[in-house]
Amino acid sequence: MDRNSTGLVFVLPALIVLAMLIAYPVAYTGLLSVTDRQGAFVGLTNFKAVLSARATPQAFWNTIWFVGGSIVFQVILGTATAILLNQNFIGRGIVRSITLIPWVVPGIVAATTWAWMFHTEFGIINYMMTGSGIIPEPIGWLTNGNTVMPVLIAINVWKLFPFVAIMVLAGLQSIPNDLYEAARVDGANFWQEVRFIMIPQVRSVIVAVTLLLVIWGLNSITIIYAITRGGPANRTLITPIQIFRLAFESTQFNQAAALSVIFFAVALVIVIIYIRALASTPGEAK
Amino acid sequence: MSDASTLKRTGLPLPITIIGAVIVVLICLFPFMWMGVSSIKTLPELYTVPPIWWPETPTLGNYYKVLFESNIPRYFLNSVIISVGSTFLALILAIFASYGFARFDFRGKPLLQSFVLIGQLLPTAAIIVPLFITLRVLGLVNTYWGLILVYMIITLPLSVWMLTSYFKAIPVELEEAAIIDGSSRLGILFRITLPLSTPGIVAVIVYAFVTTWNEFVFALCFATDSSVKTLPIGLAEFSTEFNTDWGAVMAASVVMTLPIAMLFFSMQRLFVGGLTAGATKG
Repeated sequence: MDRNSTGLVFVLPALIVLAMLIAYPVAYTGLLSVTDRQGAFVGLTNFKAVLSARATPQAFWNTIWFVGGSIVFQVILGTATAILLNQNFIGRGIVRSITLIPWVVPGIVAATTWAWMFHTEFGIINYMMTGSGIIPEPIGWLTNGNTVMPVLIAINVWKLFPFVAIMVLAGLQSIPNDLYEAARVDGANFWQEVRFIMIPQVRSVIVAVTLLLVIWGLNSITIIYAITRGGPANRTLITPIQIFRLAFESTQFNQAAALSVIFFAVALVIVIIYIRALASTPGEAK
Repeated sequence: MSDASTLKRTGLPLPITIIGAVIVVLICLFPFMWMGVSSIKTLPELYTVPPIWWPETPTLGNYYKVLFESNIPRYFLNSVIISVGSTFLALILAIFASYGFARFDFRGKPLLQSFVLIGQLLPTAAIIVPLFITLRVLGLVNTYWGLILVYMIITLPLSVWMLTSYFKAIPVELEEAAIIDGSSRLGILFRITLPLSTPGIVAVIVYAFVTTWNEFVFALCFATDSSVKTLPIGLAEFSTEFNTDWGAVMAASVVMTLPIAMLFFSMQRLFVGGLTAGATKG
C-alpha cells in the first residue's frame, strides 16, 4: 500500500473545502488591502490610513486587555472548578452538567441577559450591590468608561470558564490511580496532590486549551458587539469590531482589509511565539 | 475496569466541596433564573425600582408575542436546518481528515495540519467581505447552503484537531491486527477506530452543533432575508439600540436556550463521562 497517497486522499476533501473558504478569501483580502475602491493598485496607502487612525492603537490595547484578562481568569477559575468537580460528592453529575450551561448557551443570549442584569436603573446587579452596601449608589456599568471593560471581561469569563473546566476535568479523570496511591503511601495531603500530581498531569491540557482561548478571544465579537458595539467612546472597541465597523458601517472595505492583514500578522506572531515557547519547555507529556 | 475500593481519595473536606459546588451552580444558573423570571413579568413589573424577585401577576404575554407575533418560529426552523446540516458535513469531513492525519505520514503533513489550524485563527471579521463576494459568485447568499458551507470554517478545524488526538490515542496495534486479517483502511476506520472513539465523535457533534446554533457574525452578514435568518439574529432584532422590549427579549432567549440545553443534557453522559475514557482506559 502506498501510504503517501492514501493519507492524502483521506485528508483531501476537508482541505479542499477549507481552501475554498479560507485560502481564497485570505488572498482576496490581501488584494483588497493594496487597492482602492476602483481596484487600482495604491501601495501602502490603506495601511497608512488605518495606522494613523486614532482608534487603531486604542483598539489594539483594548484587544490585548480583553483577551489577556479573560484568559487569566478563565484558566484559573476553570482549573479550580475542574478540581472541585473531580471530588466525590452527591449530585456531582448534575453539578457537572450545570457548570457547562454558560458555555453551551448562545453568546447573544448571554450578552442580552447580562446586559439586562447590568442595566443601570432596573438591573438586578445594581439592586443587589446597593442593597447589601457594596456600592453606595447604582453604577452605570455599561456606560461608564472605567467599568465597562471589566464587566465585559467578567461576562466573557463566565461564558468560557466551563470549557476550561470540562477539558481539565477530562485530563484529571485520565490520571492513573497508581499516582494517587503512591502519593498517599508517602502521606501526601490534598493540596500536595493538586500541586504535584494534578497540575503537572493536566499541564498539556491547559496549554492546549489556552491556545484555543487565545484564538477564540481574538475572534470574539458577539458579546462586545451585542452589548456595547465598542462604546462608550471606543472604550470596548477591540480590533475585530473595528474591522467589522470599517467594512460595514463606514464601507471602507480596503482599509478594513489592510487592518485585517495587520491583525492577522500580529495574531500569527503571538501564536507562533506561544507554540515555540511550548516546544522549548521540557517535560511535555505526549 | 475500575475497582471502587481503590477510588477513595484524600480529597477536599466535604463541606468545602459542597460550598464550592453551590457557588459554582449559583454563578452558572443565576442569569438563567433571572432570564426566566423576567420573561414572565409584565411591562410595569419589569420596569420597577427596586426590581421584584417574583412577579405578582405572572404572564405568558411575552411568549405569546415571541411565538405568534414575530418571526422567531421561522428562524427556529432555519437554525435547526443549518445547524444539523453543517454539523453532519463537518463530522464526515473531519472523520476522514483526522484519520489521515492520525495514521499516515505523507509529504507536507505538518504544513497541512497547520493550515487547518490557521483556519481557526482567522479573524472572522477579516474575511467577511471576500467571503460574501465568494458566496455571491456561487449564488449562495441567503441560502441554507451558504451558511452551512461557511460554518465549516469555524467547526471543521477544531473538529479535525479533536478527532486526530482521539484517533492517535487508539493503540495502533489494534489496526495492525486488522490489516493482517485483510481489512481495508475504510473497514478499519468504520469498524474499529470509530466505535472506539464514540466519546470523541459525540464531543465533535455537540461542539459543532452548539457552535453553529450560536453563531452570530456570519449569520448577520450572509443571511439577511427572513427566509434564512437564524435565531441569534432574531434575538438581536428584538433589541434595537433605543427601544428594547426586555420581556420579549428574555422570552426569546428562553426559547432559544431550551433546545440546546436539552440536547446537551441528553448527550451529557457520553460527553462528560467519557471525554477521554473510552479508548485509552478501555
